[in-house]
Amino acid sequence: MLHVGKVKIPLCSGLSRRSFLQVGSAGLASLVLPQLLRIEAARAVEERSAKIRNCITIFLVGSPGQLDTWDMKPDAPAEVRGKFKPIKTNVTGIQICEHFPLMARMMDRVALIRSLHYNTGATHENGQRWMMTGHDFNGDNVKPHCGSIISRVFGPRGDLPANVILPGPIGNTGAGPLHGQTAGGLGSAHEPFFLGADPALTDFRVADLEVPKEQSAFRLDARRHLLDQLDELQRRTESRSTQMHDSAYERAFRLLTSPKAKKAFDLTAEKDTLRDRYGRNTFGQSCLMARRLIESGVRYVTVNHFDTVFNLSCWDMHADGGGLNNTYLDYERMLCPQFDLGFTALIEDLEQRGLLKDTVVAVLSEFGRTPRLNGRGGRDHYPNAWTNFLCGGNIRGGQVIGSTDKIASRPHDFPVEPPQILASIYHGMGINLDTTMMPGPGDRPVRLVEAEPIRQLFA
Amino acid sequence: MEQKFDGTPRAEIRLDGRRVIRGEVTHDWGLLMQWEIRRNGQVIATVPARAETSYLHPDTTPGTYEIVLQMWKYVDYKKKPDGEFINSKFVEISNKVSYTI
Repeated sequence: MLHVGKVKIPLCSGLSRRSFLQVGSAGLASLVLPQLLRIEAARAVEERSAKIRNCITIFLVGSPGQLDTWDMKPDAPAEVRGKFKPIKTNVTGIQICEHFPLMARMMDRVALIRSLHYNTGATHENGQRWMMTGHDFNGDNVKPHCGSIISRVFGPRGDLPANVILPGPIGNTGAGPLHGQTAGGLGSAHEPFFLGADPALTDFRVADLEVPKEQSAFRLDARRHLLDQLDELQRRTESRSTQMHDSAYERAFRLLTSPKAKKAFDLTAEKDTLRDRYGRNTFGQSCLMARRLIESGVRYVTVNHFDTVFNLSCWDMHADGGGLNNTYLDYERMLCPQFDLGFTALIEDLEQRGLLKDTVVAVLSEFGRTPRLNGRGGRDHYPNAWTNFLCGGNIRGGQVIGSTDKIASRPHDFPVEPPQILASIYHGMGINLDTTMMPGPGDRPVRLVEAEPIRQLFA
Repeated sequence: MEQKFDGTPRAEIRLDGRRVIRGEVTHDWGLLMQWEIRRNGQVIATVPARAETSYLHPDTTPGTYEIVLQMWKYVDYKKKPDGEFINSKFVEISNKVSYTI
């Protein structure tokens, strides 16, 4: 059995007349995606039996150095081991950076993957594409964000979109616009919903949830009625893109008119003590909002820790003395403490609400950083080895998958490539990677990622 | 997008013997928090304060000790040639306590 999203396509064991007509004489090459997209058929996924129902991805834009965070080498030469010291965690034998003291207390929930690597270029955008889509690609063949795949496969729950990115999209990171945070060929119906506002601000508002003052409910209803009529006309010339826009309009109206959606985005409903626990900053409040959104039915939330690497304190530790002048001081005083507080608050909060068992939290980045400090005491881009991690759902915490050599320059054992992370998330959410496809070039169905899940991750 | 920080952090601290204890931090910016210890007016130590809510300074050299809780205040990432920040700095977020040995 082959599935395209939720659409069942029997194969050799029995080709139905309907699917035969869809598949056509040229086989899968002529699948009619618009029809397939509209058909509600048997599920391609085992959603009910899936251990993971939601995913929160924290994306560390700029990328921390593996030697300064989660793969420390205290016995390496000074120019390799850097300035920070390792501390023990609550799992015997696992040490992490001294500036993650709160995370060290919950290492039993975390699965570190210390052998990530790829070899297709060391720009931020390369890494973003790999880690957010499981592919590298160019502008002619844009691949969808992982959350857009989840949106396509499962659809939204209720009024909220299935895929939300907080607080906003990644902007300029140096080498072009392809960051892997779009729906690609899946169309506008599955585009991520970008918050587009800073939840740390006292007067925070989500523009897309606010009906303009000059618009009464009556006028809004009238516009919707008019739009429905236009949509009906469009359906007569049915095309894939118009159907996608149908869904996009529908989503916009649902958001505008849904009390539940407004409530989900309202951080003032949280106790001050909890908001403090997350950290009263953009990242911490975005993590808190991620929990609220998951609780309200959103399936996939991405928190971008920074939207650029230029002229601000972020993980991109070149120490170049100019526009990329992040140093150990930025890590020690801002980045590590901010991450430590926000991440641990999120895990605790999800757990206390009974949501962690259904939700995987993936902390991802673009690449690692050079094993040897550069001439100014910084580290540069290095995709040959780095550490990311997952927890929650049925991820088996308290383990380290893979390792690097003595200076964290290469995987020493169990090398892991980015698509395997995505494959693991899809697998955890109940998606069968052999039978669930997405539209590829010419609308032919292609695999979501060319990789298998990391079985060791799961309990 | 620069990170935004809401409000001004504040905490009450108190002494139990020589041990200093902090209460909850309100409007916590979530950045590096540290105890600053002075003896006879001179800074002799800064110690991370995030992981634990109390701290006992081990130094028993005679003198008057004064302790305050500080947090990093991020304004921007601009740095001097020596690498230290120009505008961002540590600020006090608590009352001060003192004892004499």
